[in-house]
Amino acid sequence: MFKKPLDKVVSRRTFLKAAAGGSALMVFGITPLASRAFAQDAKELSLGLTWEAAFRPTQDEFDKNFMDKHPDITLNKQYNTWGDHQTIVPTWAAAGTLPDIVYVHGSRGAPWTAEGIITDIDDLANGDAEFNVSDIWEEALRLYKPQGAITAVPYDHGPILLGYNKDIFDAAGHAYPDGTWTMEDFRAAAIALTDTEKGIWGWSGNFPDRNAGGQFLPWGAQFMNEEETQLTLDTPEMLTAIQFWADLIHVDKVAPTTADNQAFPSGPWQGGVVAMSNVASWDTPTLAEFAPFAWDVAPWPAGTQKGTGSFGSGFGICHPENRDTGWAYLREYLNKEGMEFMWGASGRGSPARQSAYDSWLNSPIAPEHASAYLDALKTYAMTDRPFRTLKAPELLDITGREVDLIKNGDKSVADALAAMQKDGQALLDS
Amino acid sequence: MLQRFTGKKLSKREKQEERVFYLFISLWLIGFLAFTGGPMIASLFISFTNWTGVKSISFIGMDNYQTMITDKLFWITLKNTAYYAFASVFFGTVVALIIAILLNQNIPGRNILRTIFFMPSVTQGVAIAIMWLWVLNPQVGLLNYGLSFLGIKGPGWVTSQTWAMPALVVMAIWQNGQAMIILLAALQGVPRMFYEAASLDGAGQWAKFRNVTIPMISPALFFVIVIGVVGSFQIFTTVAVMTRGGPGSSTMVYVYYLYQNAFSYFKMGYASALGWILFIIIAALTWVQFAAGRRWVHYE
Amino acid sequence: MSDVSIKESRSNPVRTEAPWYKRKSSLRILGMIITFIIIIPLALIYLAPYIGMLSTALKQPKQIFQYPPKIIPDPVMWSNFPEGWSKYVPFNTYLFNSLKITLNNVIGNLVSCTLAAFAFARLKARGKNILFALVLGTMILPNEVILVPQFLLFTKLGMNNTHWPLMLPAWFGYPFFIFLLRQFFMTLPKELDEAALIDGANWLQILWNIVLPLSKPALATVAIFSFVGNWNNYLGPLIYLRDDKLLTLPLGLTQFQGQFGQVAYHFMMSNAVLMLLPVLLIFFLAQRLFIEGITLTGTK
Repeated sequence: MFKKPLDKVVSRRTFLKAAAGGSALMVFGITPLASRAFAQDAKELSLGLTWEAAFRPTQDEFDKNFMDKHPDITLNKQYNTWGDHQTIVPTWAAAGTLPDIVYVHGSRGAPWTAEGIITDIDDLANGDAEFNVSDIWEEALRLYKPQGAITAVPYDHGPILLGYNKDIFDAAGHAYPDGTWTMEDFRAAAIALTDTEKGIWGWSGNFPDRNAGGQFLPWGAQFMNEEETQLTLDTPEMLTAIQFWADLIHVDKVAPTTADNQAFPSGPWQGGVVAMSNVASWDTPTLAEFAPFAWDVAPWPAGTQKGTGSFGSGFGICHPENRDTGWAYLREYLNKEGMEFMWGASGRGSPARQSAYDSWLNSPIAPEHASAYLDALKTYAMTDRPFRTLKAPELLDITGREVDLIKNGDKSVADALAAMQKDGQALLDS
Repeated sequence: MLQRFTGKKLSKREKQEERVFYLFISLWLIGFLAFTGGPMIASLFISFTNWTGVKSISFIGMDNYQTMITDKLFWITLKNTAYYAFASVFFGTVVALIIAILLNQNIPGRNILRTIFFMPSVTQGVAIAIMWLWVLNPQVGLLNYGLSFLGIKGPGWVTSQTWAMPALVVMAIWQNGQAMIILLAALQGVPRMFYEAASLDGAGQWAKFRNVTIPMISPALFFVIVIGVVGSFQIFTTVAVMTRGGPGSSTMVYVYYLYQNAFSYFKMGYASALGWILFIIIAALTWVQFAAGRRWVHYE
Repeated sequence: MSDVSIKESRSNPVRTEAPWYKRKSSLRILGMIITFIIIIPLALIYLAPYIGMLSTALKQPKQIFQYPPKIIPDPVMWSNFPEGWSKYVPFNTYLFNSLKITLNNVIGNLVSCTLAAFAFARLKARGKNILFALVLGTMILPNEVILVPQFLLFTKLGMNNTHWPLMLPAWFGYPFFIFLLRQFFMTLPKELDEAALIDGANWLQILWNIVLPLSKPALATVAIFSFVGNWNNYLGPLIYLRDDKLLTLPLGLTQFQGQFGQVAYHFMMSNAVLMLLPVLLIFFLAQRLFIEGITLTGTK
């Protein structure tokens, strides 16, 4: 109680002394030295993150431990929703008010590098032997070196596999999917499990705008070339692949229509009326919390070959002048222990490091066969394109609109693919 | 009468009145100059550049405006927006007026009823989207459930290319509580003696509505329509949270496309040009309404 | 008429008709029944989405996605309300910030917009029409286009990450309200001003003693709209506020949204319900002003 006034007296006295000393120093012109020493003592680091409220205690705990270890660094956090983050960060950049470290979704690696929002940290990442950048999945890091140099470090990376509703499989007495499944097995199961009387569908009809690799890679089709300058949507392989899914909806009728989908705020799969759906590693915490049914995952079925898409997110440093302090944080946030603590043990997301993956597989909320994600990353998953061209968002909006029409049955697959190819290529060429 | 442009000198009183006018609007004028005017001019300048919204910027003359001519989506969004604007303003105003008239009567529970009809204009954003996706749900939604009593099999609403836009219009009508309140406030201001005088003249209900109510509330009605056109041409939030322009491009509206260009495609220059073209369109429509308003809007 | 007579009429209002149940007129009863037949189903349609909202607010996470959806949750999770309010996110802080900004802006808007609207409606001055066109013009340009330039401006003024960019502009007029009040002020007879001027009143006295007392329904309308608009404002706080301590309720609501659809719908909805309550309460109470309005204008 009486501590305060005392503090005040002391602090005022110290202040007067310091002020007198300071003005004396200024006279002698040695202030710059003093202020530089001061700046090095207390470093502030601001973080622009996107975690929802429920995950923030984990972040707080990590930060507390970090500050205990580094008393000279003070952390300031600000949260945006994931969607707002994509809009706000460029606005901050325009006004010069970026935080020191930002969350960077894989799709923003290239544009944010091009716009100078995130800075080159190649020398820091590669020069830090303890950090061991080679432990990070190549497919994950690929998103963050659009011009060759690393500009962000991924924290999670996951493929898209086949999730299944065990309750529906059990009720029908059907064998669970496994690594031997081909697309024809998948189709036969989807037909067998569909029961319109009961309102049960075999497949979710999920056809993502981004991360659609699983929809065509197993047929040997590609979205575009490696350099992302040329679309390859008009190939016979692509037509076969997309026709397969369209037929599941419109011919076999084993998937809910988009109109049916509306009955479920988070889709029919999470509503528990669908036997199988594409499930990414980052979907699993949501299912663990909300899914009103038993579920597991299996390898993505093979077509003429094995293949599925993968994607991830990471963190970058914004201010070149503050990159050393920023790296001091990132190297611990994104090393093996950091990833295990933040995303592995919490079950939140499949870590971008091979060495940290086990912690995720063993987390209490991971599905039984979560190791299928690891196998996919090791053998057949491939980062979904586009991620390098700056026109990616607009391109995906073009293809997304045509996919809507395929799903609704308003346009034939061939016509929709032709339109995507034509309009999309025109965009890439412009 | 003020002899404004006849070269006649202003009287002392007129001069004083003018001074008071500028004094009274000074707060707005300062605010405009300080906070809005600069950014407006800046956006006009940006519309002649290829600014990404972050750093790279160079002057490209009329390029952005020329691009629009061949931009398919520009024309689609313009058409969709005009459809939405005219449908939602017309039906929205009619429904708001009917509700306002009904609630202007001395009926029991009217305070609660007014609150209920006002409620939708208070709820915003994601919450409203989730609520409406339930109502508009083709299978288990309330709207189609209600239609089934009339023997109608309801459409797929926001999942159908044909019905997505009408669904957004229905939402706009539902959210038009603001117009309802403005019209209600205006109806409250109609002196009762006017109706009594009309009754003495032997006027029926319709004649009273036509010759007393409408002229008396015409300034408010005019306001509701002008504001309705401005607001509906700028529709954004509903589309962003409900349909994101789909299915296909059936609900791609102008400002949503503008927003995508500005904040998703890194085309702030083009987005600004789109903004100024919309400015011209709405300004023209507003000017037409003010010109037409001289015939049917009665002040005093 | 001078302000004295207005005051007299205020303290001695003309009695309105007897309440509906004391009136004998069977025709009126019939009219009322017809009104209710129209209005009750309409009210239910308007309320329907809110039933889903309340139902979700009271569910357990696993029940939210159950199919077919159950309207009445089992068990009823009343604990969602306190938990959603303070377990993860400091909603009390957000509430304080929202109230502070909203109340400031309601008062600021009332003061600045009344002055400007009065000038535009009742004073004569050169350049008035051009300035009024400018008022409308700022409303017509899509906000998305000036968002970034305005953000740069406020950042340059050192107001980033403070409440100032959200509170200061309210004191410098808001075009929508200026236009709305202008419409109402224009309906009052000009003779009132003339008589007061002859009595030696100045323009501020005319505004305060004559125009404002007669415009209570309009002022109440502006106050409610300003309250709702600022209470729900999402984009402004989103761009300007970064410190958790400074955030407002609408931003708080979205804190339950994760990237991958892991939305805590139950908390989001329980807080949306709580956020709705003060607005409805204020609206419910403000209706007294509408009714007072009828008594006053009845003396005209």
